[in-house]
Amino acid sequence: MRSAETNELCWLSMADLGRMIATKEVSPVEVVRAHLDRISALDARLRAFITVCADSALQSARASEADLMAGKVAGPLHGVPWAPKDLYSTKGVRTTGGSKILGDSVPAADATVVARLGAAGAIVLGKLNMHEFAYGPEGLNAHYGDARNPWDARAHRITGGSSSGSGAAVAAGLAPGSLGSDTGGSIRIPASLCGITGLKPTYGRVSRAGVLPLAWSMDHVGPMTRTARDCALMLNAIAGYDPADPTTSVLPVPDYTAALRGDVKGLRVGLLCAHFTDVATAEVRAAVEAAAEQLERAGAILDEVNLAGVLHVAAASSAIVASEALAYHAGWMRARPQDYQPDVRERLRMGAFVSGAHYVRAQQLRALVRSEIDEALAKRDVLLAPATPIPAPVLGERETTLGDGTSDVRAALIRLTRPFNYSGHPAAAAPCGFTAGGLPIGLQIVGRPFDEATVLRVVDAYQRLTDWHTRRPSAA
Amino acid sequence: MLAPMEIGVETLRRMAALGGFVWTDAELESIRPAVERLLEMLERLESVPIGDLEPTTQYRMF
Repeated sequence: MRSAETNELCWLSMADLGRMIATKEVSPVEVVRAHLDRISALDARLRAFITVCADSALQSARASEADLMAGKVAGPLHGVPWAPKDLYSTKGVRTTGGSKILGDSVPAADATVVARLGAAGAIVLGKLNMHEFAYGPEGLNAHYGDARNPWDARAHRITGGSSSGSGAAVAAGLAPGSLGSDTGGSIRIPASLCGITGLKPTYGRVSRAGVLPLAWSMDHVGPMTRTARDCALMLNAIAGYDPADPTTSVLPVPDYTAALRGDVKGLRVGLLCAHFTDVATAEVRAAVEAAAEQLERAGAILDEVNLAGVLHVAAASSAIVASEALAYHAGWMRARPQDYQPDVRERLRMGAFVSGAHYVRAQQLRALVRSEIDEALAKRDVLLAPATPIPAPVLGERETTLGDGTSDVRAALIRLTRPFNYSGHPAAAAPCGFTAGGLPIGLQIVGRPFDEATVLRVVDAYQRLTDWHTRRPSAA
Repeated sequence: MLAPMEIGVETLRRMAALGGFVWTDAELESIRPAVERLLEMLERLESVPIGDLEPTTQYRMF
């Protein structure tokens, strides 16, 4: 294949790559090599990867090709490359959590979901950059460099985080899919700011065993890809009960690709207004409202919803995350606090000032907020909102203006996603437009517990009606 | 509306020490405004009427 053609392999979806590999139109070795070449060409600037596993990826690709020739196909992801955020344990490959503290940590076993994707035939290209220990929505990293948003070739804009490398790599064609983690929005925020599709599944749908925690009761893991179909393919491989994670559900796992029927006729869709769409910038609000209207024209039944209880989410979830995060990091925070990057060290310190009574109060309110969201979804199939109220800020920008006043950038980034970490509902983010300056705008789609199928059905139907998700960033 | 909360460095030092953390005055002073904001927000949660609602975690097994 010529260079231009191999480069095009990097823009194919996981579904298309899997189909072309299965029909021997392209070999897994060609696909992996094309991605490794692209990583070599672009990653010095994008800083999406912390570790590139070129040798093992090529070795796996050759084994995958041999299996294929012997008639053994593991499934639709056979020979398809991907890359996890660097907080997933990978056997024999260092897993840093984006930190200096775990800079030389090499796990003896794969995280459950890494093993499941391996069994499905997928090939790890390397480990992706992230906000240190996943404790920040900007995606900053003092140890391995800040990942760069590929949608602005001139200014250094943040990718959003904490799954910053996942956002940059998938958007720039360095990997067709990733697994991120999401404690306050860390899958959906970089998906929104980088113009890709990400899914935070229901709490308990996907195992967290072997994944470094930030806050156990808020952490979710899920796919980040360029299409809803690819999210469905990855979710098919990773979802389901895991004895190593007692919080996983025993509910059976449906075939998520079977739900992608391409229509939304008769689906009841609620647009979240106060505290959500109303606080976004004018461009974000217009794009989200246009997406809602597009779904309505396609046959969905649209109305508006308010969730008053989310007013309490910022305080309550801060108490939970601060307490749980410090509980995990307490040993290192006593022994080697200087090895944390300053913003993470400062956030971890906050946990020392949250009392047990505060923590329990926050968990009481959690039941209240969850039941309010459940009630809204009893009358509707999905809820819509912006994923982030703002597009990607320039690196170092501290304040931004929202519909209800000035906010610091960090609070603005997590404001619309964090309620669904607190409640545990499944929520996706997908591109629904671009600003006049060419930055992606993200739509958030929230579903009923364990109904990821309907969430993905809506995203897939929207992606059949629009081409936002097919656009390529200027810096890639 | 509650009055703005003011917490001295000495109070912060004692609270941190309860958790086994020894931080300098400069370190405590730098986080003092953020701690005050957080505790103010948490105080406001006390006024939310929740009756005898039991605390929950995410562990909703099906």
